[in-house]
Amino acid sequence: MISSYLIFHVAGRLFGAKLLGAIEILPWRGSRFVPLSYSYVEGLIDYRGIIYPVFNLAQQLGLSRPGPIGFTAEKKKQAEGRNIILLEENKVPFGIIVDGVAKMAKLEDATLAPGKAQGIDPAYVKGIAYEDDQEIMILDFERLFHAD
Amino acid sequence: MDAGTRFLILSLDGESYAIPIARLLEITVARAIQRDPSLAEVFEGKVEFRGAWIPVLNVKKIFKLPGMPGTTLLVVTSGKGTLGILVDAVTDILDTEQRPAPLPKGVINPGLHYYKGILRHKEKLVLLLNQDELLS
Repeated sequence: MISSYLIFHVAGRLFGAKLLGAIEILPWRGSRFVPLSYSYVEGLIDYRGIIYPVFNLAQQLGLSRPGPIGFTAEKKKQAEGRNIILLEENKVPFGIIVDGVAKMAKLEDATLAPGKAQGIDPAYVKGIAYEDDQEIMILDFERLFHAD
Repeated sequence: MDAGTRFLILSLDGESYAIPIARLLEITVARAIQRDPSLAEVFEGKVEFRGAWIPVLNVKKIFKLPGMPGTTLLVVTSGKGTLGILVDAVTDILDTEQRPAPLPKGVINPGLHYYKGILRHKEKLVLLLNQDELLS
């Protein structure tokens, strides 16, 4: 089966999210901070009547470039200029921060190779697609952000 | 007919939070707070309120927010008795028929019950505090 994927960049790598229903791509915007939330939660945004949690994908995947110790105040600045993609998985809406959106692509589901993504916990990878010799990691968002 | 619910909108470190007005006893300037070493670290001390001593909670310390303790004291009823809460300011009153939206999954450890939900106020999201569980 062929499905449509949205391909985006995070920390110099390509990732894909299967298109199920609508996907919104927003310019980066401030989100409502929630004290004591998980460290990879950027905050909440209210978009067209739906409250989305916004996750810092790079941080959850362990791909953030480590900054100098004690420089957490720079976190917000780093996010500016990026995009927020609003998705849903199993009808649960959520947003992720990405460095940029590359394109839409049609990928054959069956060609997804089992995950052996370097430097990323394989539990978070559904599979890897190859296009133009580029590796595109298809993530398992449910596992990434709903571990609890 | 249900007349809706009134909430007090307060600010902590520049962000808005709400508590139901039905649980509010008094709003005052925080003063005459006495240190009490027998209280946990999240308390600033105690104050006299209607002839009794009540503990005064520094919410910023619980939420790991920066800055000095707030200078406005809210006296509220909680599941653990009457409680003082220090906030930066009281900014508004929200009279609404909204039902608080639940916090989305995956945001906070489900074992923490600091928030009862989310309210919308002036195009912003406001976290509704659960004053019964601030000490959990």
